[in-house]
Amino acid sequence: MRNLKLDIDNYRNLLKQYIKFLDENALYQAEQFSKLSIQHNISPEEIINVHIQALKELYPDLPKEVDYSLNFLLETMISYGLAYQEMQSLREQQLELKSEISVAANMQQTLLSTEKPNIKGVDIGAISVPANQMNGDYYHFVSDNQQSIGVAIADVIGKGIPAALAMSMIKYSMDSFSESQRNPCSILENLNRVVERNVDQGMFITMFYGLYNLNSETFSYASAGHEPGLFYHASTNEFREIKTKGLVLGVSKDTTYQQYEIEISHGDMIILLTDGVTECRVGNRFIEREEVLEVIKKYIHLPAQEAVEQVYKHFERLQGFQLRDDFTLIIIRKNV
Amino acid sequence: MNMNLEVEVAEKNKTTVLVLLTGEVDAYTAPKLKENLLPLTKKEGTLIEVNLENVSYMDSTGLGVFISALKSTKANNSQLKLMNLEDRILRLFEITGLDSIITIDSTVRGGN
Amino acid sequence: MNFQTCVNIQKEWDIVGARQLGRDRAKEIGFGTVDQARIATAISELARNIYLYAGTGKICFEMMNDINQKGLLVIATDNGPGIKDISQVMEDGYTTSGGLGAGLPGVKRLMDEFDIISDPGKGTEIRAIKWVR
Repeated sequence: MRNLKLDIDNYRNLLKQYIKFLDENALYQAEQFSKLSIQHNISPEEIINVHIQALKELYPDLPKEVDYSLNFLLETMISYGLAYQEMQSLREQQLELKSEISVAANMQQTLLSTEKPNIKGVDIGAISVPANQMNGDYYHFVSDNQQSIGVAIADVIGKGIPAALAMSMIKYSMDSFSESQRNPCSILENLNRVVERNVDQGMFITMFYGLYNLNSETFSYASAGHEPGLFYHASTNEFREIKTKGLVLGVSKDTTYQQYEIEISHGDMIILLTDGVTECRVGNRFIEREEVLEVIKKYIHLPAQEAVEQVYKHFERLQGFQLRDDFTLIIIRKNV
Repeated sequence: MNMNLEVEVAEKNKTTVLVLLTGEVDAYTAPKLKENLLPLTKKEGTLIEVNLENVSYMDSTGLGVFISALKSTKANNSQLKLMNLEDRILRLFEITGLDSIITIDSTVRGGN
Repeated sequence: MNFQTCVNIQKEWDIVGARQLGRDRAKEIGFGTVDQARIATAISELARNIYLYAGTGKICFEMMNDINQKGLLVIATDNGPGIKDISQVMEDGYTTSGGLGAGLPGVKRLMDEFDIISDPGKGTEIRAIKWVR
């Protein structure tokens, strides 16, 4: 309880002024008095007490009953004062929590960041934006040598902190795989076992892993229930869905994954995404896959990084600047 | 908070239970679905038929509940069957590969 | 007048008795109107907890006399089930009644000093002091 003395004289004078003139200015001054009191944590019952005293000084002959009734009001208001103080305290706690999450999100950024490979003849663009502070989507590039580029994209069920924690598990598991284990279906099979052992009953992770072999100009890949990406074939100017089949990670420990392979020629593109892109709502309805494709086509002529950023901005605007889910988009284009 | 999910449970016969879902299955309503569905899977020999014809939306948290339910049926020797899935929702099960481990009766389509 | 006076809490009506006795003693000690009201509210909360959760208990009052200040000590004791997780019941936002403002955090805000000793199966003792300003 604060020991600040309320300015009774001020209150009494304002009250007197108002009763005499019924003027708006007195009310405005009263508002300032209120705000100042709130800033100093003055509770409602103290205000009523000030009112009682001011009234007594202004009207010494006031009936006792008025005095009693105001005392009654004073007691009634105490609970409101307590509720208000509790809310203030909860608000402070909330700010603290938000701040803690910010720190965690920054840490996540640092620990799980990945570098886009810088390889002649390959144009790569990548963007991943979380819906809240922590990102449940994950993407990763691997290019130990100049011969191949590995690309992983994953989506953990749910959003926020639990999703982000599960994702860290994926990253560190992948780091521990040896060179020989780097083909797409082995990677998914290994990760599946790790995830199945370590997550809750209802949790799962979708993932796509691809390996672009620059020498043989082929792209081999496997998918664990991940949102299908797109291929662009420059020679026919066609977009086609990357058709794969595979069970999401974490459901059954013996799952095996089918590996596919396609040839990559000059101008061809590999487009990978998470369902934060395809689950976009436009007004009341969901966006159709064709519409997603239309948006991508609109920016596809730009350099890969610029293209993904423009596509993101387009969807961000479509969703009223409030993402419903983490949004991740990767474009890999063969330029030579 | 959206609490837009109704769950109706009825006994079809001694070994079959019908579950009719109405509304949306997302992060907010998934716990309610789980609360209602999971206990049903604990009884050995039961067939649980879940009718999704009135489900207008489902996301990955909903899938998570069905995965938990499926695991429970395996552990308790009961059975799970999903019926009348709307196109978008059926696609979700197909993409994630769950249609190969959960019995889905896709001959009759539903949705709004 | 430093002796302890107590009120047994067994029926809901006893809460009113505790409030009255507490307010009277607060008046004697020299508390102003607002502080009297606060003390009565704190007593009410403590007595109500005894009535609702412990069944029976008592509220006692004792005048405090320090070197340069006077105050009122309120002691609420019961042989009820005890509190399993004291930190939890002292947390803002935790409520068994569905509304903000009440509960033990409220008592702590109304008084100047607050202490609680409770163990499951061993009952509860709460001591709260308010000093004359």
